[in-house]
Amino acid sequence: MTQEIRFNLNGSDTVYTGNPADRLLDVLRNELRLTGTKCGCKEGECGACSVIIDGKLINSCLVAMGSLEGAKVLTIEGCTKTPQFAALDKAYESVSAVQCGFCIPGMIMASQCLLANNPHPSEAEIREGISGNLCRCTGYNAIVKAVGTAAEEGNGLW
Amino acid sequence: MVTSFTPRSLDEAIRLRQKPELTPYTGGTDLMVNPNEDASYLFLHRVPEMKRIVEDGEYIRFGAACTYTEVIKHPLTPNILKEACLKIAAPAIRNAGSIGGNIANGSPKADSALIFMVADAKLRLCSAGGERLVPIKDFYLGRKKLDLRPDELLVEVLMPRHGLDNYYHVKVGARNALAISRVSFAGIMDIEDGKIRRCATAFGAVSDVIIRLDQIDQMLDGKTISEAKELKSAYLSAMDEAIVPIRGRVGIEYRKDVCMNLLRDFLEVNGI
Repeated sequence: MTQEIRFNLNGSDTVYTGNPADRLLDVLRNELRLTGTKCGCKEGECGACSVIIDGKLINSCLVAMGSLEGAKVLTIEGCTKTPQFAALDKAYESVSAVQCGFCIPGMIMASQCLLANNPHPSEAEIREGISGNLCRCTGYNAIVKAVGTAAEEGNGLW
Repeated sequence: MVTSFTPRSLDEAIRLRQKPELTPYTGGTDLMVNPNEDASYLFLHRVPEMKRIVEDGEYIRFGAACTYTEVIKHPLTPNILKEACLKIAAPAIRNAGSIGGNIANGSPKADSALIFMVADAKLRLCSAGGERLVPIKDFYLGRKKLDLRPDELLVEVLMPRHGLDNYYHVKVGARNALAISRVSFAGIMDIEDGKIRRCATAFGAVSDVIIRLDQIDQMLDGKTISEAKELKSAYLSAMDEAIVPIRGRVGIEYRKDVCMNLLRDFLEVNGI
């Protein structure tokens, strides 16, 4: 049996009519065709599917649709429209932090959440902030540098 | 038929819990690893009584649906619990996973449950017929077996307010973030005026349930440090005999050695 689940997705009120036990990740990618959110492990180990729900970084693979009633969900597609994303985009590019790119949507969501809560993080705090996001190209140092650069260059945005 | 519910009050949640087909859902971080399309969930994150952290005369009361992040950030949270929760997974998991789920999942590797065990916390279980307060140690009956009736809901975790400051906690994982405990250990040595008021230890990821050998720990209660030193070898050999690791992903001998090494270190840092 299907249920109607009302939530806000990237600023638009949305109704999902389906099984409340469905995963948010599958709904985003397969039904809403928002494929910027990546599917890496489906068990909360890699962070590639990170989204922001009510201001908090969450692995969308571990979210049942029914839990989203009344929630605000931001995916990478919604994030790219913000000035904060522009600063992150520029910073990631300036230090060549993107290699294969698969982890990057999740990394951007983690970076955005970290800076929203802590606009001037130390290197250790940046590493902690992205500790749930795996980069199998192992380009962590550049990503950490990119987040630090975004914090400096985008001063005042967060 | 798949129908899920999102109760807005504890009364409503308890009433819905009488439907045996509903699975309680807080953070989803365990349930959704192997998602079941046919599951009907009882979403508990909108039940105010299960989302708050308050204190009364005796206890700090943690709502079972509180996430690790909420526990870490709350000023009432004792440092021992804060430290253990910070070692769980990574920020995104800590933003969703709940302490109630960690306890009721029944894993002996549960990192927050280890702390509630060493603190001798109590669990408030509610059903339509009433409620009961169960010491967490008695809640675990065996491998994945809980003293929880199908119509009962874990609503709050009651942690003693005092006596938790002098703690020792080590999580041995294969890496820093996103690590499942290979062995975890927590100890509390509450000392007042040179006397041990309460010695408590708990060992995770060793046996079917978290090991809490309170009768052995009580050997040291009421003793001075020098009296405890005299009892040290008897205490350690009783522990050595009682800690029997079960087969797991990590070797039995290794886990036993780590348990005993951590226990010895816990005594040594307390001058015993």
